[in-house]
Amino acid sequence: MNGAYNTKLELDMISRTRAQVVGRKELTGDNLFLIWGYPTAFVLFLEFATLMLWNKDWCEWLWVGIPLVGAPLMIHFLRKDYHRTGHRTLEANIALQMWIFIGFISCLGGFTLGFTGIFPLCYCTFQGLLISIGCFVTGVILRFRPKIYCGVIGAVLSFAPLFFQGDLWPWQVFVTSIVSVVSLIIPGHLFKQYVKHYNEL
Amino acid sequence: MNPIKLIHIDPMLHNAVRLKIMVALDSLESANFMYLCEITDAARGNVSIQLKTLQEAGYIEISRSGSGPIAQTVCRITQLGIKALHEYEKELHKLFSKEVSDEETNLSVAG
Repeated sequence: MNGAYNTKLELDMISRTRAQVVGRKELTGDNLFLIWGYPTAFVLFLEFATLMLWNKDWCEWLWVGIPLVGAPLMIHFLRKDYHRTGHRTLEANIALQMWIFIGFISCLGGFTLGFTGIFPLCYCTFQGLLISIGCFVTGVILRFRPKIYCGVIGAVLSFAPLFFQGDLWPWQVFVTSIVSVVSLIIPGHLFKQYVKHYNEL
Repeated sequence: MNPIKLIHIDPMLHNAVRLKIMVALDSLESANFMYLCEITDAARGNVSIQLKTLQEAGYIEISRSGSGPIAQTVCRITQLGIKALHEYEKELHKLFSKEVSDEETNLSVAG
């Protein structure tokens, strides 16, 4: 009788530890969307304002400001989160790697715009889609529906800049700042509330 | 019970603290030392020794990040560790079903 009893105890211990780890999984990264959302919306709005006022080539360099502000803040908050919870989940790691990739592409795009001074017609649509798809995929990974919906709405809105051509082109930047509000700031606040509620349970 | 069957049980994982550490790391991307102490409910010295043993066996990777008061020991499970843990679980399940069937046979013979 003892053999089966001991094996059963060991199997129980494995299940209990696994359940304990899953149950203790604190949701983290609640500030990430806000860290990226506010600088993106602010910088894009600033660029729109400068384009409307002066319409000079140097205004394109403002795009670089987004990763320059967002990346250090993200690293700081991620370290703080890890120190507090002591662990990182597989899902959070996938989402993080994806956003690092998106940030890198945005940074590269910003530098290209700054150096060439040429503003491609589809650039705002591309940026908006990048952010919205990132929001959508994060929602799917974390099983958080508002992010999925906001990602879809943001992706649809990303095509709006294509309607502003000719002299109206600075409005493309304004629409992209609205996309960043829809795809980053709104889901960021909703996720923050959700995390607060989830971790209190 | 056939004692030859026990040979398949990995001695590295046949320890409560080491097994708990492996199961916790299997469910996460990484975890720090303090988190593992909490999960295993064991003393820091004990956890430290078991982590070193698992690292020497190649089941986990240990890295140190940061410096000063924010320095921390970060542990990750390796592919070898994942394979060993899953095989260990499989062997335990097999052993359990065998032991149960043996006991049922013994009971029916005694009855």
